[in-house]
Amino acid sequence: MTRPQQTALRPQMALQSYLDGLLQEATETFEAPLDKPVVEMLPELSVEAAAPDEFQAAVLEEQVRDARREQAPAPQVAAFAEPSPVLLPSILPVADPVVAVVDSEVVAEASIPVLVDVEKSIPVEPLAEVHRPAVPNGPLLPATPDGRPAWAAEPFECLLFDVAGLTLAVPLVCLGSIYPLAGQDLTPLFGQPDWFLGILTCQAGNLKVLDTARWVMPDRYREDFRQGLQYVISVQGYEWGLAVHQVSRSLRLDPDEIKWRSQRGQRPWLAGTVIEHMCALLDVAELAELIASGAVKQMHVKHQ
Amino acid sequence: MKKSSAQGSEDPVLQWVTFRLDNESYGINVMQVQEVLRYTEIAPVPGAPSYVLGIINLRGNVVTVIDTRQRFGLMPTEVTDNTRIVIIEADKQVVGIMVDSVAEVVYLRQSEIETAPNVGNEESAKFIQGVCNKNGELLILVELDKMMSEEEWYELENI
Repeated sequence: MTRPQQTALRPQMALQSYLDGLLQEATETFEAPLDKPVVEMLPELSVEAAAPDEFQAAVLEEQVRDARREQAPAPQVAAFAEPSPVLLPSILPVADPVVAVVDSEVVAEASIPVLVDVEKSIPVEPLAEVHRPAVPNGPLLPATPDGRPAWAAEPFECLLFDVAGLTLAVPLVCLGSIYPLAGQDLTPLFGQPDWFLGILTCQAGNLKVLDTARWVMPDRYREDFRQGLQYVISVQGYEWGLAVHQVSRSLRLDPDEIKWRSQRGQRPWLAGTVIEHMCALLDVAELAELIASGAVKQMHVKHQ
Repeated sequence: MKKSSAQGSEDPVLQWVTFRLDNESYGINVMQVQEVLRYTEIAPVPGAPSYVLGIINLRGNVVTVIDTRQRFGLMPTEVTDNTRIVIIEADKQVVGIMVDSVAEVVYLRQSEIETAPNVGNEESAKFIQGVCNKNGELLILVELDKMMSEEEWYELENI
C-alpha cells in the first residue's frame, strides 16, 4: 500500500525538487556578486546536487519520462522563475552608416537674379588739398646720410594730426588730400592684415585706408582706437591714406628743430622727432612705398 | 572706327556675374558660371573639409557646394529666400558656391579694374583679382581658380 502511494508521489516530488532547485539556483545566481567568478559557485551547485537517494531515483524516473515526452510535441511552457537568457548579439548594433543620399534633384530656373537694394555710395570729395609740391613734377630725392629726407633740405610745411591721442607731423609735400571718414563706409577686403581698414571710394579713385595707430604704436594699440576716426589723409602719389582722429593745424618747421633718425631700421617711416612740439615726424612716402612694394608682407612674416 | 576697335582689343570688356556676401558685392567671370540655382537642401559629406557644405544632385550629377563665407573669412549666416548656389567651373571642376544673393551681370573694361592691395599674407587674399567701381558701388573681383590651393582642388575632386 505504501509502495504504490510512494510511486504515485514520486513524479510530484521530483517535480517539486526540480523546481525548488531551479528557484534556489536562480536566487543564488542573482544574489551572487558580479565579481564572483563562476567557478566559485560550482561547489554550491554540487551541494545542491547531493540529494537523498530517493530523490535521485525520482529525478531519474522523471528524466526518462521527459525523454519519452520529447518524442511527442510538447506545449512550450516558460519557466516562471528562470531568468530569461539575454543573448548578446554576435555583432554589436552599429548606428546606420551616414550615407549622403540626395533625393531631390535641382533644376535651374530660367531667370532668378535677385535685385537687392544696394546703397550706392557717392564718391567722397576731399575737404582740402594739402599737397605742396617741393619741386614741380620732380621726383623725390633720396635721403641724405644723416637721415634727412630731400624735402627737409630747407624749412618745410607740416600738418599736425592726432591719432589715438598721439600727435604726428607729416610734411605737406608728401600729402595729397584730406577726406572725411565719419559717416562713410569703408569696403573691407578679406584676407588682409589687421592694419588694413578697407577701401574708401573717393573722387580720385579707391583709396586704401590704413589704421595709422596700429602702425605707429602697435604695442599700445587698443581695439577702441578704431572708433571715432574722422579723416583720411591721402599720401601723394600713392593709393594709400592714413586714418586719423583729428587734423589740427599746419606749421613751418626748420630742419634743425628736428632730431633726425639716421638709422631708420624697422621703422623707415619714422623720420625723426620734433622736440619743441613733442611729436613724431612721419615720412609717409617711405611708409607708402614700403606698403606698395609688398615689402611689408615680408616684414610681417618675419615678425610672426 | 579703327582707333576704337584697336582700343577695344587692347582694353577688352569682360562680363562679370555679381553676387553679395555680408553686404559686399563680389564679381566672378561670367565665362566660369554655368548656372545659378535657388538654395536647395545640401547633403553633408562626412569627413569633408570644413569649407565644403556638402553635395547636391544636379540633374543626376553630384556637385560639391563650397561654403563661400567660410572661404572668405566671413561669419556664417542663415539661408534666406535670396540665397543662391552658383554653379561654376574652376580648375577643370564643376563646383557650387553658396552666396547670399546673385544680383546681375556687369560689363567691365580691363582698364577699369584696379589691383587689390598686395599686403595680405592670408591665403584668401590671393584670390582677390582686383576691385572696380560700378554703378556707385565697389565690386571685389574674385579669381575663382585661386579660391583653392592645388591640394584643395585635388581634395574636392575626390570627395
